[in-house]
Amino acid sequence: MSEASLVLEGRCWKLGDDVSSDALISARHVFEYDPRLLRRHLLAEERPAFAAEAQPGDVLVAGRRFAHGSQHSHPFLALKEMGVGLVARTLARPPFRLAVYMGVPLLEIGEAAWKALHDGDRLRTDFRRGLIENLSTGTQHEAAPLPAFLLDIVAAGGGLPYLGRTAAAHG
Amino acid sequence: MARTLVQKILARAAGRAHVDEGEIIWAAPDLVTVPEVSFPAYVKRLRDIGITRFAHPERLVVVIDHEVPVHSQAGAERNRLTRRLAVDTGIGHFFDGEGITHPLVVERGLVAPGQFVVGADTHTPGIGGTGALAMPFGMEVTMPMARGDIWLRVPETIRVHVSGRLRPGVAARDIVLATMRLVDDEMAAYRVIEYVGEGIAPLSIPERMTIAGLSIDTGAEAGIVPADAAAAAALQALGVAHAQPLAGDADARVAVELHVDASRLEPQVSIPPSPTHVRSAAELHDVRIQHAYIGSCASGTLAELQAAARLLAGRRVHGDVQLLVIPATRRIHEAALADGTLATLMAAGAQISPSTCGPCFGGLAQLDAGEVRISTSTRNDPGRMGHREAQIYLASALTVAASALTGRITDARTLLEAGA
Repeated sequence: MSEASLVLEGRCWKLGDDVSSDALISARHVFEYDPRLLRRHLLAEERPAFAAEAQPGDVLVAGRRFAHGSQHSHPFLALKEMGVGLVARTLARPPFRLAVYMGVPLLEIGEAAWKALHDGDRLRTDFRRGLIENLSTGTQHEAAPLPAFLLDIVAAGGGLPYLGRTAAAHG
Repeated sequence: MARTLVQKILARAAGRAHVDEGEIIWAAPDLVTVPEVSFPAYVKRLRDIGITRFAHPERLVVVIDHEVPVHSQAGAERNRLTRRLAVDTGIGHFFDGEGITHPLVVERGLVAPGQFVVGADTHTPGIGGTGALAMPFGMEVTMPMARGDIWLRVPETIRVHVSGRLRPGVAARDIVLATMRLVDDEMAAYRVIEYVGEGIAPLSIPERMTIAGLSIDTGAEAGIVPADAAAAAALQALGVAHAQPLAGDADARVAVELHVDASRLEPQVSIPPSPTHVRSAAELHDVRIQHAYIGSCASGTLAELQAAARLLAGRRVHGDVQLLVIPATRRIHEAALADGTLATLMAAGAQISPSTCGPCFGGLAQLDAGEVRISTSTRNDPGRMGHREAQIYLASALTVAASALTGRITDARTLLEAGA
């Protein structure tokens, strides 16, 4: 996968604080692993328009404690399938790791940046440099990018492709 | 140099003399647990990228526990595939309908103090009640499946000193719920919660597992109870040959020290929408319930079933309430049959099901809009047990049993005092 996947341009889908893993995809879908099906469940109850309308290049901009609770891969499999990136005020360790492992580009941002990104804004997000341009309002916001080691995993398309490449190199 | 228990465990797993908190290491787990929910899907994904062999198949545990007995065509196909893959891939341990993973691996003597255990399931840290460090990684367990190790940042430790002893009507769960009142997600982030003190010493391994397992819901990496001589002896009785006491150094730096006085605790309840929203049972007496559930990896223990049976003996659950009881493992089920516990519970009106995770994630005994359940399971997010507009309260088996009798959330002590 190319570096281009680390720069996204598209719509901002803004969420509030405390959107739990179960609110992203209900735990009753835990047996499903096909990303093409999971993408239909993502935010189906909280924000039905998202699954129907989100496009590759869009970014989910979440508040604090995004995807807390159940440690399910499913929301991140869905985001990856949709080509949607993730910007959050804060994530706990489990969703942070799962996002990286599923190959979802990720930035954690400060309060000021979070307030300056509005639902429906057009954003250009460079996950390698840690730069968000709000094309609708003309503002720019910086955030610490992921460490290089994790960016490599995301750029490879996630932990499994990364593992496959490592295994091939060793084999 | 003084080290925490977490540092000792991870240094050994990383093959190092010492690891620093905050450092990123590669650590090799002693055991990797995967339920049938995930196993065939993970094997397929690994095969898709050309990985067909596991680094240490003998360390892998696969358990059919989420849909038992199977009740869907998709489940039948998944179980058949799981059984075949368990043989084809040569994994070390395969359990088919024998119980819920976390209590099961402990009951079968697969876990020793000081081990590093990883699991796909969120509540893997229950295993930390043995003095092992057990952490959940979801689909990332494909990493140790493929390579034998996983990267992680060495967590800091929050140490909870539990003084005093629990009074009648109050249970191990109430210790962890009291801890949740003291810990928020920012304090818990990248830390393990360790429980020590005279309030922990008298607790059995299953009670310690309740505390360790539910600690994950604070946002911590895991919960852990250092193994003392009693824990080592209990594990040896389960067949763990090398079970020895193991604790952190007394002078090791910990990030936060907290204090809980067990002797002053009241029965506690997690209210919707999060396990960390904790109130006293007595405050919730106006909450009417239609469903009560005793079971799950956290609470389907023989001791919890017996405590409920003692309270329910000679009584009938409230006419508006469905009481469901699911022993966490087949051996617990057999023991509760043999000692009359299940007969007592059934005489009081309980339904009994075979061991499964089912109700905890909405796979069994679903709720309708507006219904209320009090449960000994692990999470109460909206929609967790069926309809999003159903409400889930979480508490100990004693509190659940007392509530089943009255049809309202009830402090069990009011019934104990009435002469149970």
